[in-house]
Amino acid sequence: MGDTNIRTEIQELLEGGLETEIYPRADTSEDVNKIVNRLQKSGASLIEKLAIAGFTLNTIEHGGIEQPCETCMYYLVHRKYCELPELDVPVEPEWSCRLWRI
Amino acid sequence: MANLLWLQGGACSGNTMSFLNAEEPSACDLVTDFGINILWHPSLGMELGDNLQKLLKSCISGETPLDIFVFEGTVVQAPDGTGEWNRFAGRAMKDWVTELCDAAQYVVAIGDCATYGGIPATAPNPSESTGMQFLKREHGGFLGTDFASKAGLPVINIPGCPCHPDWVTQILVAVASGRGGEIGLDEFQRPKTFFSSFTQTGCTRNMHFAYKVSATEFGQRKGCLFYDLGCRGPMTHSPCNRILWNRQSSKTRAGMPCLGCTEPEFPFFDLEPGTLFKTQTVMGVPKDLPTGVDKTGYVKLTGAAKAAAPAWAEEDIFVV
Ligand code: SF4
Ligand code: SF4
Ligand code: SF4
Repeated sequence: MGDTNIRTEIQELLEGGLETEIYPRADTSEDVNKIVNRLQKSGASLIEKLAIAGFTLNTIEHGGIEQPCETCMYYLVHRKYCELPELDVPVEPEWSCRLWRI
Repeated sequence: MANLLWLQGGACSGNTMSFLNAEEPSACDLVTDFGINILWHPSLGMELGDNLQKLLKSCISGETPLDIFVFEGTVVQAPDGTGEWNRFAGRAMKDWVTELCDAAQYVVAIGDCATYGGIPATAPNPSESTGMQFLKREHGGFLGTDFASKAGLPVINIPGCPCHPDWVTQILVAVASGRGGEIGLDEFQRPKTFFSSFTQTGCTRNMHFAYKVSATEFGQRKGCLFYDLGCRGPMTHSPCNRILWNRQSSKTRAGMPCLGCTEPEFPFFDLEPGTLFKTQTVMGVPKDLPTGVDKTGYVKLTGAAKAAAPAWAEEDIFVV
């Protein structure tokens, strides 16, 4: 499936009410490790990835800083893609997840 | 002719191994071209037992002039300050160190253990290890803050785990050729010529640092290792990307993060699992920012740089 189709699928899942763990955000490196470990164990189904990472279609602001994919270290600007190995999905710049890091 | 004596305390011999691989100049060049007479070295010295004791005592008495005393490894003080855990030539090594430092024209500490305590001095520090004139960032160490060798210099610190062989041989040549007084030292007594710039200076991944393109795995041929893999290149003083290792490469060029081994705090994070090769963050922002950059500036700069990143920066471009 091409990137565009997966992006559309993610959008439809989230608009359709898929519940994701938006909070608590990963404030510390330990929090990040816990979430990443869960992703590694989850066996990479798309729905589990979205739920565990706390995907949203809008940007979340946390601690006074906006956390969009667009400024995240794992985001490839030109491909509009999340390169975090445990996620590895196409995204949109204004989306957000709790593994955001700058 | 300058007499050099090299001893090892709480050490893994890594700095000796490194030193023996020196190229510009080599360990042999020190002897043949630069007039350094190696009185004794743990891997090269011929004397054993009584003969070695005799040699050490003759250095202490001044009968054999001791121009350069090189120490590798920590000064071990356990148990209870006696130093008996590290006996050498019939007594605690720390006692030899005290007397040899008093006799030497120059004292040179080699590697992170001898300079700042390194891994052995990390809590809980069972060997009561310390560096020669520092314990981590704290000035003093084994010899005390006021120590100066006969030539009037404090301990010359050449840190690294191990240090690059050419940093050692070049400093030894400077000292042996009477230019020891010209070696400018920084606040941690490192020669400025090597330790004013950063590991990042000359790194082939600098473009990726600038455009905020991250490497996500070791050895990747694109991407900077700062954002995800814990590279300490932007806050570590070392010439690792100016004076290449084996004259070929460096950690960061090969896709391995800098661990900051030339800084007094090395190894960082008390060696807790999951901390070494992972950029530590607080609310998504790196805990340790590049030297001189504040959090607000970092967030603004990163957003702008990321938005401006050209497509090639995201491609595989052979930076190794
Ligand atoms: S890790 Fe970053 S790029 Fe990936 S989905 Fe989360 S916020 Fe977006
Ligand atoms: S890999 Fe390390 S040294 Fe190289 S540019 Fe990135 S942060 Fe700097
Ligand atoms: S790259 Fe960093 S860790 Fe490696 S030798 Fe240089 S200063 Fe030490």
